[in-house]
Amino acid sequence: MGNLNYLTNIGRKMPLLEIKNAKLKLDNKDILKGLSLSVNRGEVHAIMGPNGSGKSTLSYMLAGRDGYELASGEVFLEGQSLSDMEADERARSGLFLAFQYPVELPGVGGMSFLREAVNSRRKFLGEEELDHLAFVKEARKVASKMFVKDEMLKRAVNVGFSGGEKKRFEILQMAMLKPKVSILDETDSGLDVDALKIVSDGVNAQRNDENAIVVITHYQRLLDYIVPDFVHILSDGNIIKSGGPELALEVEKNGYAGLINAA
Amino acid sequence: MLHNVKDNYIISVKDHVSQFEEKSFRKLASNDFKSWPSPREETWRLSRLGFLSRKEITPIKPNLKKQISSVSKFKGSKIIRFVDGALREDLSSKLPQGASLKILGEKDSLRCFHKFKDSNLKNHPSTNVSFSCTPSIVKLTIEKDVKIKDLFEIIYEGGDDYTSVHPALYIELKDNSIITIIERFNHLSSLIMPLQLVELKKNASINSLKIFNDNQQSYNLSANCTFLSEKSNYNSFSLIKGGLFTRSETHAYLKGENCNLNLNGVYLSCKNQHHDLTTAIYHDVPNCTSKQIVRGVLGGKSTGVFQGKVRVAPDAQKTDGQQMSRAILLSENAIANAKPELEIYADDVICAHGATVGEIDDDQLFYLKSRGISEKKAKQILIRAFLKDIINESVEESIQNYVFEEAELALSEIISKEI
Ligand SMILES: Nc1ncnc2c1ncn2[C@@H]1O[C@H](COP(=O)(O)OP(=O)(O)OP(=O)(O)O)[C@@H](O)[C@H]1O
Ligand SMILES: [Mg+2]
Repeated sequence: MGNLNYLTNIGRKMPLLEIKNAKLKLDNKDILKGLSLSVNRGEVHAIMGPNGSGKSTLSYMLAGRDGYELASGEVFLEGQSLSDMEADERARSGLFLAFQYPVELPGVGGMSFLREAVNSRRKFLGEEELDHLAFVKEARKVASKMFVKDEMLKRAVNVGFSGGEKKRFEILQMAMLKPKVSILDETDSGLDVDALKIVSDGVNAQRNDENAIVVITHYQRLLDYIVPDFVHILSDGNIIKSGGPELALEVEKNGYAGLINAA
Repeated sequence: MLHNVKDNYIISVKDHVSQFEEKSFRKLASNDFKSWPSPREETWRLSRLGFLSRKEITPIKPNLKKQISSVSKFKGSKIIRFVDGALREDLSSKLPQGASLKILGEKDSLRCFHKFKDSNLKNHPSTNVSFSCTPSIVKLTIEKDVKIKDLFEIIYEGGDDYTSVHPALYIELKDNSIITIIERFNHLSSLIMPLQLVELKKNASINSLKIFNDNQQSYNLSANCTFLSEKSNYNSFSLIKGGLFTRSETHAYLKGENCNLNLNGVYLSCKNQHHDLTTAIYHDVPNCTSKQIVRGVLGGKSTGVFQGKVRVAPDAQKTDGQQMSRAILLSENAIANAKPELEIYADDVICAHGATVGEIDDDQLFYLKSRGISEKKAKQILIRAFLKDIINESVEESIQNYVFEEAELALSEIISKEI
């Protein structure tokens, strides 16, 4: 018993997500150039950076997309190396990516998609799979909090959804899957003011001492709602500066040029 | 080899003709049958009939007492049964008012024959062989203004190894009539050559579902010739899953303004099956729409062919013609061929077409996997969705589940082997 506690405590002390010197090439072009980042439980990190700096590449690499394997470096989720884990295994282990461009799935009903995803994760966690009725009830409850209409869950995933609806559906999935680490890739883009508030509230409601969130964004505005503990500037495949929320304000005011030149 | 068979076949056809009265359309047809199409003929290049040389096939003598055991999947549907290619009224339902079945006499049969000979199906092997060998041409008529509420189910079955069957059906929908027809091909024969003539009069509508599910060793060469009058609707969906070689060829002539045609289809092929959907759509007048979505899922060493010709005549302005085909290959040894063919002679038209052959979409697969769904499960979900999507779009709601279940029977076999 004492032994177990000891192990758990070690687990708790290590970062939830740790990226060590990650290098990645796409089409023989260096995209990530030795990026390191540590994210602890309970923290929210924001990543900002110019177009093409490698933010989405970083998120795909973390999620385990084919073709986004590291050339060198390593990533750990709760101390466990991700390098040999496929995307689905990573997701079941508690990693979640809200896509910058959510993918349309014609013919795949929203409700059955969610159920398949949630039950995959529950099975992994050793929890009982939810039966249809219990699941529908749960999904509707979460959906209503996100102001996602029931009708949307009946439709094919993301098909014919507006930009904002797609983003809301991403966060709905996050809420249902209860991940340990969530990476939100420009979840704020395409959202109107009200939707931004709804989505941010949805994200904030899931913040706790056990999980962590990495928000990729271009706009300081989102960070007024989801207040980060740390802000990182990603430029040309590397984090060139880290700081507190004030760093986002600086970017908003002066742009990236000054920061990049100083680096 | 081929010559041998041709000669054999022609001899058999002539023998067969003598079993019936020597009607002139039979003679005309059998005289016209020179040979099987050669692979040099463009429309048969991708679907070759050389296999026929391996078997000596004789047209079946319909056994009018043959008992059958197949049952309908629908409660209250009206069944029309063809056994060995012959109509079996004793095994068919009594039709509701406004619908009637009749066996055509000499003059009307000849008229049907000429409709085919005047169309671009004139050289289709089934045209000549089946007109000379069919026990009789059956006509289903739906009277003016009649809206049939019952589902009509036409079941084609019977047949035997080393025989061919030749069902021939002429469907006429008079002005403003409406009907939904499900046809199932469940033959045991080696060679199946169904003929179908459809005439839609003004403002008539037909929802047609065809399921090709013949015996795994058989060859089905189905030929359909459809004429659409003003404001008529032909909404057709074909599911090809059976047979060793199944080619469903449809030629649709849009002859009246403001008519609408949907000619969708799916083929599900595995092992060494060869499935072919060949269509030709002729926009002869202005203001008509045609839409085609064709999808295929292939495993094993199977081959899928989609040939879609759309011809827009110089006068057919304001034509809207859409065509999309997509095949997913689940095995390295499967082959899919898509051959869209657009001949547009009018200038004020919207015509779009696209054809893709490939694997399961990477983005979709990654999206599902990123939600914790295993690759295997994700592929299954996407393949099923690929079909569900087109089925939901193509067939009316009340029969969607049925079509999906029918597709699922073939699909689960492909999936269990390939995924
Ligand atoms: N498959 C690929 N092959 C080669 N280069 C690629 C590939 N995919 C992306 N890139 C390049 O990698 C760089 C990083 O792209 P990424 O999408 O990660 O940028 P980003 O920071 O997310 O930009 P944005 O702010 O516009 O979303 C870009 O220069 C892009 O052109
Ligand atoms: Mg990006």
